Amino acid sequence: MKKYLITLLLLTAGIFAFGQSTDPLVTQCVMNAGPNTKYLKDFRVQLGKAAAPGEFRYKTQMSLWKNTRYKFSLCTAEGSQGELILTIKNDANQVVLSSYDSNTGKTYKSVELVCNRSGIYQLNYDFKDGLQGSGVGVVSMVK
Amino acid sequence: MKGTAFLLIVLIALTCLTCRNKSNSDSQFVFPEEDTIPLDEAEKLSTEAIEEIAKNISSPVEIANLLQTLAVPFSPEYLASSVDPNRQTTSFDKAFTLGILGADLGYLNMYEKTGSSIDILSSIRKLAEGIKVGQFFDFETIKRLSLSKSNLDSLLFMSIDSYTQIDKYLRDNDRGQLSALMIIGVWIEGQYLATQVMTEYPDPVLRDRIGEQKIILNDLILLANPYCNRDPEFGELCRDLQEIKQKYRDVKITYTLGEPVSREVDGALIVEQTETSVVEMTDEQLKEIIEITESVRNKLIANN
Repeated sequence: MKKYLITLLLLTAGIFAFGQSTDPLVTQCVMNAGPNTKYLKDFRVQLGKAAAPGEFRYKTQMSLWKNTRYKFSLCTAEGSQGELILTIKNDANQVVLSSYDSNTGKTYKSVELVCNRSGIYQLNYDFKDGLQGSGVGVVSMVK
Repeated sequence: MKGTAFLLIVLIALTCLTCRNKSNSDSQFVFPEEDTIPLDEAEKLSTEAIEEIAKNISSPVEIANLLQTLAVPFSPEYLASSVDPNRQTTSFDKAFTLGILGADLGYLNMYEKTGSSIDILSSIRKLAEGIKVGQFFDFETIKRLSLSKSNLDSLLFMSIDSYTQIDKYLRDNDRGQLSALMIIGVWIEGQYLATQVMTEYPDPVLRDRIGEQKIILNDLILLANPYCNRDPEFGELCRDLQEIKQKYRDVKITYTLGEPVSREVDGALIVEQTETSVVEMTDEQLKEIIEITESVRNKLIANN
């Protein structure tokens, strides 16, 4: 019982602490990243339906460093038609990871990258099948 | 006819050589041919481009995390404790110092020395108010989180998010020069922290991280370029950055190629890169980088 109370207290403290943020989806996504992670950045993605599915539409950049384990969490807002997905490309435009397996159709809500090559990477977000949606991509370090 | 055939053979040979180079397993990071974009061109950098550059600058939290991983003990000696926010008179000083203290705050937070961060938090508040962005720094909440020591994740999020909002607001309101100063301040302090630790606790991983800063140094200079002729203070900062860049000129970063390896653990996807970056930096080059970083950072702090 005591354990449940402590857990409840910690959760409440977390919600209270994040209560000041303007975007609840961001705070929720940061909290869901896990206890062994440290927040680095977030990207707010809001897209309409694509004319034709294909190239990911929300593109951004971030430096990633060797000897670091990153976690990319993907949170989709309620009411979105598509699920938020991510691909990461290196500076040679090669895909390093994707949260969506096009062969099986499986999507992952988070992907971890054990980075061994420092550089500037392109983070590409979209909603599955180019559908309309709203979501947040959170980048954290795994300790 | 013979001449044309000869030309063709030469062309084919050249093409093959180019192909071979492309398929080579190693590539190398070099600064672009042009050291700087001409100022007129730089001023045309779009808001989006500047935003992208700003995102590329590594977070001081990452440096602090690396130091923790390497079991480097916390030291208050590295902090810019001598900075007095009441002595910052110009917007230049305020914005730059805001960056310096932001990096220090990240270092304190990561080491959970949150109780001792109150002085820095007060200085940050004063500086933020001084450039009219105090509304984005939720001092009371961050202070409460720091004192309670209960929720480091929330503290990190709140601190980083405040800086992100300040940065965005400044850029959106045609005060990009202050945003650039803040970002440069964060980077210089992070670099100072890494290089100072390197002198006391030499480590190959930290050494590589210092060398790898070459990758983003050019972006940092691009960020400052539009404002180099704005006033003498900015001009001097631009020269300092060029001097740091000069020390990095012969540091080599090469890449070995490889396909990423994916595995699923408990339903989560984990991808490990097999391609790697390799830093070649002599002891002399490292020494010069440590010295120039210390000199530039201390000069800017002393000016304040």
